[in-house]
Amino acid sequence: MNNRYIKAGITVFPGSNCDFDVHHVLTDIFNVNTSFIWHKDKPKSCREYDFIVIPGGFSYGDYLRAGALAARSEIMGLLNDYADNGGIILGICNGFQILLEAKLLTGVMLTNKSLRFECKYVHLRPFNMDTPFTCAIKDNAILKMPIAHHDGNYFATSKIINGLNKNNGIIFKYCNVTGEITEDANPNGSLYNIAGISNEKCNVMGLMPHPERSSEKLLGGEDGGYIFKSIIKYIKEK
Amino acid sequence: MAIKAKVKKENYKLFGLSLDEYKKISELLGREPDDFELGIFSAMWSEHCSYKSSKVYLKTLPVAGDNVIIGPGENAGVVDFGDGDVLIFKMESHNHPSFIEPFQGAATGVGGIMRDIFTMGARPIANLNSLRFGSCFNPKTPYYVSEVVKGIGFYGNCMGVPTVGGEVVFDECYNDNILVNAFTIGIAKKDGIFLSSKCEVGNVVVYVGSATGMDGMHGATMASEEFDSKKNKKRSTVQVGDPFTEKLLLEACLEAMDKKLIVSIQDMGAAGITSSSFEMADKSGHGMTINLDAFPLRTPNMTPIEIMLSESQERMLLACKKEDFESLNAIFDKWGLNCVKVGEVIDENIIRFNHHSKPYKILDVSTVVNGPAYNRPKRKPKYLQKILPIKINDYRIPKNLNEIAKRLITHPNIASKRPVFTQYDYTIGTNTVVPPGFSAAVLRVKGENKADKDSKNKGFLLNVGGNSRYTYLNPYMGGALAVVECARNIAACGGNPVAVTDCLNFASPEDPEVMWQFSEAVKGIKDAATKLKTPVISGNVSFYNETAKKEGDKPTISKIYPTPVIGMVGFIEDVNKTVTPYFKDEGDEIFLLGRLKGDLGGSLYMDLVHKDFCQKPADTDLDYEITLQNCIRLLINGGMIKSAADISEGGIFVALAESSITNPNKILGFTVDLNIKELSYAEVLFSEFEQAFIITSKSHSEQKLLKAIGDFNVNLLKIGVVSKDIMKINNTIELKSDIIKNGYESSLETVISAAHI
Repeated sequence: MNNRYIKAGITVFPGSNCDFDVHHVLTDIFNVNTSFIWHKDKPKSCREYDFIVIPGGFSYGDYLRAGALAARSEIMGLLNDYADNGGIILGICNGFQILLEAKLLTGVMLTNKSLRFECKYVHLRPFNMDTPFTCAIKDNAILKMPIAHHDGNYFATSKIINGLNKNNGIIFKYCNVTGEITEDANPNGSLYNIAGISNEKCNVMGLMPHPERSSEKLLGGEDGGYIFKSIIKYIKEK
Repeated sequence: MAIKAKVKKENYKLFGLSLDEYKKISELLGREPDDFELGIFSAMWSEHCSYKSSKVYLKTLPVAGDNVIIGPGENAGVVDFGDGDVLIFKMESHNHPSFIEPFQGAATGVGGIMRDIFTMGARPIANLNSLRFGSCFNPKTPYYVSEVVKGIGFYGNCMGVPTVGGEVVFDECYNDNILVNAFTIGIAKKDGIFLSSKCEVGNVVVYVGSATGMDGMHGATMASEEFDSKKNKKRSTVQVGDPFTEKLLLEACLEAMDKKLIVSIQDMGAAGITSSSFEMADKSGHGMTINLDAFPLRTPNMTPIEIMLSESQERMLLACKKEDFESLNAIFDKWGLNCVKVGEVIDENIIRFNHHSKPYKILDVSTVVNGPAYNRPKRKPKYLQKILPIKINDYRIPKNLNEIAKRLITHPNIASKRPVFTQYDYTIGTNTVVPPGFSAAVLRVKGENKADKDSKNKGFLLNVGGNSRYTYLNPYMGGALAVVECARNIAACGGNPVAVTDCLNFASPEDPEVMWQFSEAVKGIKDAATKLKTPVISGNVSFYNETAKKEGDKPTISKIYPTPVIGMVGFIEDVNKTVTPYFKDEGDEIFLLGRLKGDLGGSLYMDLVHKDFCQKPADTDLDYEITLQNCIRLLINGGMIKSAADISEGGIFVALAESSITNPNKILGFTVDLNIKELSYAEVLFSEFEQAFIITSKSHSEQKLLKAIGDFNVNLLKIGVVSKDIMKINNTIELKSDIIKNGYESSLETVISAAHI
């Protein structure tokens, strides 16, 4: 698997803590040429990267609101331009929260319904297979991945939800093991069991579960790997 | 005598010193100490910092071994993990702060132990904890559980260090003194270990991290006293944690270490700047100057002694070469942290304090550091006379064992701890192979390039535990059993125990009966650790876990049971070979490997059924234990068994039931036929800590197993098969697996969620 010519960037804010995990998976499992982008580094643009991951963590301690401070940091201006030009951005967990706060995605995150941090395995059903993040997922596949968050209870106005539905912007929903979208399968109370959404052009996706933590058989499953496989496939076929 | 006449009584008592200690300090100084000196001495001579009551016993523990690189004395112990890697680990108590303010107490306990680990150059890769709460019927218990768990999650999750295991125990004896023991393990390169003892004359003394505030003042002395009814007034002695700053401190320190910009480093834990400066000076054999004007303060106008005793979190003291300071400063600046020159390492063995640009005080390092060591009086407790071997025939035999089995499996001490560990991030780091909830946590270690998925993956196993009731009933055996039980859990996964850390939680050492319990428990740990070749490479003692109360008009003291907790680390060559305790497939055969004593003394069964657990627990044969554990490792390494579970609280029934309902993908059951001559069903099913394992293997493998066991002198008894969804033992127990699973999974939630009512 020679993917060394594919270049990935991982943003690092103070408090990011899934940066090493994403780096490990992209480098050691998928053989992608991966580097970190420190939030204060000032590259002229991010155009050199084939895709960018905003990893999970507690950027700026999640003080004020999860993702709120990182969303206002300088590097986000560059990511905004990058997204405008069609660049692929995957925001995982805190990365999703940052994308929402930066208005690259629509809606907000509330505290989990349980009012607790929840770390557990969930099942996901993809709803749009025609995106850079899902194009390598097999038909009818249900993906198992862990979540680990305190504020993953996605909420949006009906206007936003209508917009998402119109653009096929709801990419993943929490489901049970057989793929049914049930209340029991919803780990955090998110609206319509939403686990992942994209922007209108489908080049920016936020996802609460952690695909990087389920990309190796040894760790209990490789389902998360399909997200990265999709991105790689999309870039190769572009 | 002249000194005694002048002693201001309230003063030394206020600082938690005894009259004798006060006199000793006066003698050493040749005069009475002033408040600054008294503050420094009282912190350094506190039980918490000086181990004055426990030193003589701790010295007896085995500390050396083939894998040990650094034993006790540094911030944490270090073992060789091969391929140039080392593992660094330690466990520490944060009991007193957690009882005063459970959220912050638990959080800063976790923060403190992680600092101990990364101070030494290691990146923390896993946390565990041992938590002890009062009875679940105590109205305050739900509050403590939910706050402590939240606090641990708050800190560990933000740091990005997975919390992969631990124990949660409820017992009345902790009603007035909860216990929070936190364990952290980190990984470093063998040539990248940093010590507090290495500073050299001429080095700059540098303060890094958060600013110093008024929090945690006198924390060390507070933790060296029993509680009374005024405990809420001690709230200001509890530190406030900021895991975000600690995450930055971690990254900054590791970056500076990687660039070899640090000569020596010590974290600021108990007694803050006082202990870090004096210990660094003492261990290196040098001294230092400390400029009290240089410290970044959160609260303006703090007095010198307030600065010295603050236990504000997320701070470190380090020494660096003069020419490296600018580069060091640049790294901490990048991470937005303070990095301030506060002094210099000097040739004399003193610390010279400056304040308001003038010389302030001079203190002799070894005088301050070499506090008293006591061989306190001890006496075998009276209650032990009444602890006799159980006469099971004196107790009625219950008719309905089904009912008892259900009560055992849903007892909060046995039931699933899922509602607790799902509040901790246990998947971050992408190393967790076996998550919390099973015998031991198993983690892999990433190699250079693991794209080749079939390659061998070395790993390590972690376990913490201890049984305080057994220690109460037989302190020696309780200490030994804590070590043995951890080793059993590691063996049941296929791992080799390597070394341990311990947290010794006891009541007041000034009570001779407590001191006796302590000495016996340490002896038990010593004997077991020596036999199992698991040296004790780090640890901590927490005394004074007792609270003065009034029952009616009568003053009483509520003391915890002696609670030695062991944290053990084991190695496994290839994590792919790890075995989990749960059953895998219907039709697999179930065996008992080992032997059964059937002694119900001290068991949960006796407590639940007869409301009386005060009997002598069965002894553990250490030689047999080693044979048994070697035997099960051999079977696991040979890939011959599909599951293995040890027999602990709740006995064989619980071991079988848990094995049926903890498979993450399906619910199973079992049909077991187990008759042992001269033992009643209750003795067979519910006797605890047996020297035996429940193992399963695919059908028709008995002969193969027997052949492999060969000369081990360990019995193998086929007792049944894994079945679909019913749990059946002889004609005494028949239960539906899904109903049992439901009770097992929901029991603890009712305890925790009561906090919100």
